[in-house]
Amino acid sequence: MDGRRRAWGWVAALRAGATTPWLDWPDDGTGDGEPLAAELPGAQQLALLRRLNVYAAAAGRTVPAATAERILAAGVSGRGRSELALVGADPGGAGRFGPPPVDPDALGDDELLRVACALIADDVAATAAVPAPEPSLVDRVRAVRRPWVRSFVVVGMPWRADAVRTELAAQGHRPGGRRPTAYLLADDLETVLVQAWTARSFDQGGASWRGFVRANAGAGHLPPRADLARMARSAAYKYGADRVRIVLDDRLLAAELGVSRLGGPPRLGAHAVDLVRRVGEPLGLLVASAERPRLLRDSLGQVLDGLGGPPPTLPPRWDGWLSTQAERTRHELAAARYPVLGDLDRLLPRPVGTDRRAPVLPVDAEVLSLALGLLLDPVTVPARTQEET
Amino acid sequence: MSRRVLLHVGTPKTGTSYLQDVLYKNRARLLKQGVSYPADRFDDHFLAGLDLMRLRWGGLEAEAVGAWDRLSAQVREHDGTSIISHEILASASRSQVARALTSLGHRPGGDTSDGGTEIHLILSVRDLVRQIPAEWQENVKHRARFGYGRFLELIQDPERAHRVGAWFWGVQEIPDILDRWGADIPPERIHLVTVPPSGGPPDLLWERFSSAFGLEGLDLKLTTRRANPSLGVPESALIRRINRTAARDLPPQHYRPLVRELLAHRTLSKRTKSARLGLPPDQYPWVHQLTESWIAELARRGYDVVGDLEDLRGAPAPTGKWVDPDHPPERQVASAAVDAIKALLLDNAEAHAENERLRRKLEAARRDLVRARTPRLMRSMEWTVQRLEGSGKGRQALEVYRKARRRNSRPA
Repeated sequence: MDGRRRAWGWVAALRAGATTPWLDWPDDGTGDGEPLAAELPGAQQLALLRRLNVYAAAAGRTVPAATAERILAAGVSGRGRSELALVGADPGGAGRFGPPPVDPDALGDDELLRVACALIADDVAATAAVPAPEPSLVDRVRAVRRPWVRSFVVVGMPWRADAVRTELAAQGHRPGGRRPTAYLLADDLETVLVQAWTARSFDQGGASWRGFVRANAGAGHLPPRADLARMARSAAYKYGADRVRIVLDDRLLAAELGVSRLGGPPRLGAHAVDLVRRVGEPLGLLVASAERPRLLRDSLGQVLDGLGGPPPTLPPRWDGWLSTQAERTRHELAAARYPVLGDLDRLLPRPVGTDRRAPVLPVDAEVLSLALGLLLDPVTVPARTQEET
Repeated sequence: MSRRVLLHVGTPKTGTSYLQDVLYKNRARLLKQGVSYPADRFDDHFLAGLDLMRLRWGGLEAEAVGAWDRLSAQVREHDGTSIISHEILASASRSQVARALTSLGHRPGGDTSDGGTEIHLILSVRDLVRQIPAEWQENVKHRARFGYGRFLELIQDPERAHRVGAWFWGVQEIPDILDRWGADIPPERIHLVTVPPSGGPPDLLWERFSSAFGLEGLDLKLTTRRANPSLGVPESALIRRINRTAARDLPPQHYRPLVRELLAHRTLSKRTKSARLGLPPDQYPWVHQLTESWIAELARRGYDVVGDLEDLRGAPAPTGKWVDPDHPPERQVASAAVDAIKALLLDNAEAHAENERLRRKLEAARRDLVRARTPRLMRSMEWTVQRLEGSGKGRQALEVYRKARRRNSRPA
């Protein structure tokens, strides 16, 4: 039996859409194939292609040949093992050095995500070359600042505030003006933390949800993007304490500004944000860091809207820390006597024991499933442009 | 098209910092002698490595976008010999190696007949007896919080599933590095530079580098030193404790200058009397066994060895007491901590003084700005008053003027 010929036969079958695991591939010579290159693709790439074939078959589709080629030629991003050899492909043991050969099906989803995220990052980076669409005349007219609109700015939870500012500007309520009122968007602290992690995943990548919570809760403080009291102080310093309003009820703010809706950011679940975080890592080596957040928002932020399960929740061990921080935030905002649109008690977490199911955390298998979808239907141009064309 | 590229891909802790410092500081001299070391800043080749391998590195990767393509373009444009050197390249995967070699003008099999570049792969290597503790220490200087014992466990995991083990062997397993980098390069163009055993002539390693890089006859200034100094046991333990306590709160851009540079390199590395970090006695057998298999394999492959493969054997287990960095002598750690506090205080005082100097400068600039914005008439009046104050008659005239002003401004 020639292990390499058997392996090449399996590679050719995977390129044609096969879903047979490597260990089940015939070893009687009927599954042998001719070498297609000097080196076999790595086990991570082969495992990812097989998983994509399974994913596509379940949807009644096939993986395009070009996509299969891309996967087989892809690199592995980030730290960890580089391309791994296929177990049984080289029984003579020419590769006595390096990491031991593996069964591709035994690889963890995390290993496959390293390949998938590098490919998705390539797709996202390619969208940078597509110029942003020019707003239509109607959009431009709608966005002209009405002279009678009061002066205001929107601050607070960054992930949400960005989206609200964009929506208000589209309705002719562009933030700014002389001596503006600062509306600080707030919510219960767990939601604020989730949004801080989401904003960070789009802007910088880095820590997983678990690591993000542990780093901040373990150190006993709130991350800057979730510290509402600090944001309020900053707004008071900049605009004057008498012009800061805490917003805990969107309807009241919409009524005060005279708009029909405030809008909001895309709703990405725990697994979707985790995928964005992972893609941001190799993307950071492909585009300037100032470009990265916009590219991710315009591409993955749009296509993953509504996907990825529910938002993550804090593991129960941090309940005490969350309550303390929420109480502190509420106390500081109340003591500063900022006017509040809504009920300040909304800052507090739900009482322990009520509506407290098992914590929601990003799961590699779910993240990989989203990644497979993006490999089958790659992000090629910003989603907004796609809708318009 | 460059005719020849000397591609130095590692390994870490083999005198690479000194070599790169000499090459960088002599790059103009080298160029006059036909050798290009294309770099506008000291870490250009490091950034190119990050770009090639798409590696995050505490935010530095943001400066690496497109760095490999820029470097390889400079190499292709140079008609002569070019040198590329960085030790993180040792961990490149096969596909990354293929991309790197192609971008440098390499042809399959190293064929140079149709204008392909003649690439010489250089790998500087040191015995594992010294490399293992040195790598743990390097991890500690990069924010690691795990102990030495845990590190030894991770690197002995046969699956290399943890990133620490995967990275260690990625940059230290010499036959595997050469399998990845040298698979398509003729063995006579692969050069192994061995680091001599401790206690040998201090210039021997440089002589070997010079020989491998063909620098022997060139006019170079060797006065610079950019060592990557090592720490003793209590000092390593102290940095690890600092990492456990403070690294999470200290962003990479502050960790690097304060902990790695100020504390580790500029302060604690000067404490040379403390116990040196070494391999635990019970680890010697597997290390020696592995090394023997490497030496046999490397000898079989027929590479050009600058030095001696015997250097890879490393020293035998010492007979004296081994000091465990996971259970260090506490008095020595406390003493190192006092030195660290002193260094931080002095650094802080210097920063305060600099802040004060800048504050005064800012204040002066603000005064100048106010003055520049003061109307010409006001400045003329100030000038006139100053002149009148300078003479007796002038002061009398001013007195008369001021009395008249007071009379006129009295309320009716």
